Amino acid sequence: MVKFLKPNKAVIVLQGRYAGRKAVIVKSFDEGTRDRPYGHCLVAGINKYPCKVIRKDSAKKTAKKSRVKCFVKLVNYQHLMPTRYTLDVDLKDAVSVDALQTKDKKVAACKATKARFEERFKTGKNRWFFTKLRF
Amino acid sequence: MVAAKKTKKTHESINNRLALVMKSGKYTLGYKTVLKSLRSSKGKLIIIANNCPPLRKSEIEYYAMLCKVGVHHYNGNNVDLGTACGKYFRVCCLSIIEPGDSDIIKSMPGDH
Repeated sequence: MVKFLKPNKAVIVLQGRYAGRKAVIVKSFDEGTRDRPYGHCLVAGINKYPCKVIRKDSAKKTAKKSRVKCFVKLVNYQHLMPTRYTLDVDLKDAVSVDALQTKDKKVAACKATKARFEERFKTGKNRWFFTKLRF
Repeated sequence: MVAAKKTKKTHESINNRLALVMKSGKYTLGYKTVLKSLRSSKGKLIIIANNCPPLRKSEIEYYAMLCKVGVHHYNGNNVDLGTACGKYFRVCCLSIIEPGDSDIIKSMPGDH
């Protein structure tokens, strides 16, 4: 009886090109909209996970290994698996529904989330979110 | 021997309560609608048959854990649960949205 599909919830995308990738809910539309008359949410997720960084790596190598490739997508609730994890990263200003209208806005949104995700990865917090789900 | 007797009595009481919910309350039957009711936080109690596939059972339990909703593992398979609901088909899982006149939600989650 507690709503759990809220912003900052970590979810796993189940269907589509990004199946198996972890994502975070940015904005949820429980009642749906005119175009999408079902419950869905805007998620920002990881397309390519960062590699494992070891102590031996040089600064240049860690920079290269910590790169994260992101995606932004509107996903139906049925195609998500919610988890008990949350990721409090402020993405509301970077990612919005109108960012998905044109390609260059989408690229800009992905770039902004990429920066936020990379700095979060570098702090070492939310380690679960940045590890690849093995299946 | 005493434990067996006790489960038989509580089993019948679950069936009675379920019949009352079917008559007076709101419910949904089936895996897809159970997940829908959990996502929209409308479900108040989930009942799962004992021959539910383990992956599906743990998925429903995980959703219910996120939702803080009780899950009752029914002592019977999907055929029995369908019969208990008064239906002529099999029911693997069901979600009670409004209990109506029944007290199933107050008495069952402690039971589990």
